[in-house]
Amino acid sequence: MRRAALLLRLSLRNVFRNRRRSLFALATIAMGALGLFVFMGFNRGLMNQYRANTIRARWGHGQLYVQGYRDRAHARPWEHWIEDPSAVMARLRRLPGVLDLFPRLTVSAILVAGEHTAAGQGEGIDGAAEAGFFTQLNYRQGGDFRDRADGIVLGEGLARGLGVQPGDQIRLVVQGGEPLPRSAALRVTGIFHTGSQEFDSRTFRIPLGIAQALLATDRVESIAVALAEVEAWPAFAEAARASLPDLEAVPFDELDRIYYRQAVDWLDAQFAFIRGIILLVVFLGIFNVISMAVLERTREIGTLRANGDGRLAIALGHILEAVILAALGAALGLAAGWALSAGPLHDGVAMPPAPGITRSFRIQIELALADALQVMGLAALTAVVGCLLPVWRAVRMPIADALRHV
Amino acid sequence: MSLYEVRAVSYRYSGNGHAVPALADVDLDVHAGEFLAIAGPSGSGKTTLLNLLGLLHAADAGTIRLDGRDVSTLVERERTRLRRERIAFVFQSFNLIPVLTAYENVEYVLLTRPLPSAERRRRTLAALAAVGIVDLAGRRPQRMSGGQQQRVAIARALVRDVGVVLADEPTAALDRTTGRAVMDLLKRLNRDRGIAFVFSTHDPRILAAADRVVHLADGRIAS
Repeated sequence: MRRAALLLRLSLRNVFRNRRRSLFALATIAMGALGLFVFMGFNRGLMNQYRANTIRARWGHGQLYVQGYRDRAHARPWEHWIEDPSAVMARLRRLPGVLDLFPRLTVSAILVAGEHTAAGQGEGIDGAAEAGFFTQLNYRQGGDFRDRADGIVLGEGLARGLGVQPGDQIRLVVQGGEPLPRSAALRVTGIFHTGSQEFDSRTFRIPLGIAQALLATDRVESIAVALAEVEAWPAFAEAARASLPDLEAVPFDELDRIYYRQAVDWLDAQFAFIRGIILLVVFLGIFNVISMAVLERTREIGTLRANGDGRLAIALGHILEAVILAALGAALGLAAGWALSAGPLHDGVAMPPAPGITRSFRIQIELALADALQVMGLAALTAVVGCLLPVWRAVRMPIADALRHV
Repeated sequence: MSLYEVRAVSYRYSGNGHAVPALADVDLDVHAGEFLAIAGPSGSGKTTLLNLLGLLHAADAGTIRLDGRDVSTLVERERTRLRRERIAFVFQSFNLIPVLTAYENVEYVLLTRPLPSAERRRRTLAALAAVGIVDLAGRRPQRMSGGQQQRVAIARALVRDVGVVLADEPTAALDRTTGRAVMDLLKRLNRDRGIAFVFSTHDPRILAAADRVVHLADGRIAS
């Protein structure tokens, strides 16, 4: 115990034996830790915002379909929609974590406004219910149709193509079902944007009742689910599978695989690359400091070994020194990262619109204890790896040679 | 009784494809409690012989027995253990750890032994008292004179109760008066404690203190 205490004291004192070099190493490690910590916070903020956008703009936490419906195209899709949706939703509401449910029906239609015509893909929705949850559907003009029976909201690209404003009338012509075609006159209540150019240029939303009337059905295609939190999905999906085996519960990241899942994977890969570069810089800093320190102390190491200290004990002292250096540097970096996020970056980082997105973002730096611990652990690990080679070389040197070293 | 029995020992330094003979066919006995000087000019093999006695080198040929046991072929772990238990060193340039105090430098070598902390403290202070610097226990080496540092190094050698202290030119870095004082101290410790001292020097004035002087020339014992 006393030996461990003295070893710790010796290592602590050795850390500041060459103050200029140690300060340089501390600065290198602190900058690395700061960069890593803030970047992890930025990445966490980006992912969380992206996830919130994805959930609250379009998908909810997931959707329910009839088993097998999504796997293939159907000649008569309405025959594969969810029957008696009110009864199904009543059962779903009793499952754990469910906040709200939103029945939906996809409608492909021709939209006619005066002399302008456009093809669109829309959804029949429960406007009043969805207005409370889908808060990321931002309105450029007007607002949702809520209880208005003949309302329609349009993506801004689609509205621009049709040349309509809130208050204008649109006729929807639907191809599908029997007899054909059917149409309905609707009043524009709002023009929205989700951030996705492609989505906003073809999408509209209408009351579910009108969509069902146009498609001559009392079924719904899907039921979107709002949960208390993202983490509640697996338990909900399991319970849904047990309660309603004819339905398939699909999470939002599976529904939006192309955009969300691939973007997350892409960002993760990018993050891993940047983290690797930062760790390399920290590694080189520690390697340099320990190499120089070990070179300076070669004679000292020889003396310790002549006096009967084993190689392992001497190596442990130097490794401990490197770990202390790394821990101090990482602590400084973490403190600086926290100060940065609480001060200049308190309101987040302004980001330009991403490819395919029409609006800019502010990404909050979301620092987390788990990230801080990971940074600390990585710094310590890097320190251990960085000092192994010089220390191993030094303790392997013949003692008489070490004692002669100048 | 012989502490060391050195028989027909040879050693050569190798490097860059060349081998330079440092010791050739050396026979030597060192007795327990002896105060033995190894004399000779630079390059005569004094340090090499001390390194062999201290188990820092392994001889190329011949045998070395310590306490009657052949130590020529021991593996490094065994040699480390024997150094820890039986051998201590005093170096020309003191070789103290600069970030530790005098007390900690001396105590450090006891920490590999299973001693109660009170006993460790008693021994450390006794060793510092024996060399007359107990009042400097809390001082770091850079704030001490050369003579004081060498006394700390001697205390470090004494604190383990070893059988032999090997000192390579222990006074070479000291002025004449301090060097004489250090030799008087070593002699007194040898007499009072019965520890064998083997030291190298080429200073004729220091040799006068030795019980016996072994002269080396060109890696061979001259007399």
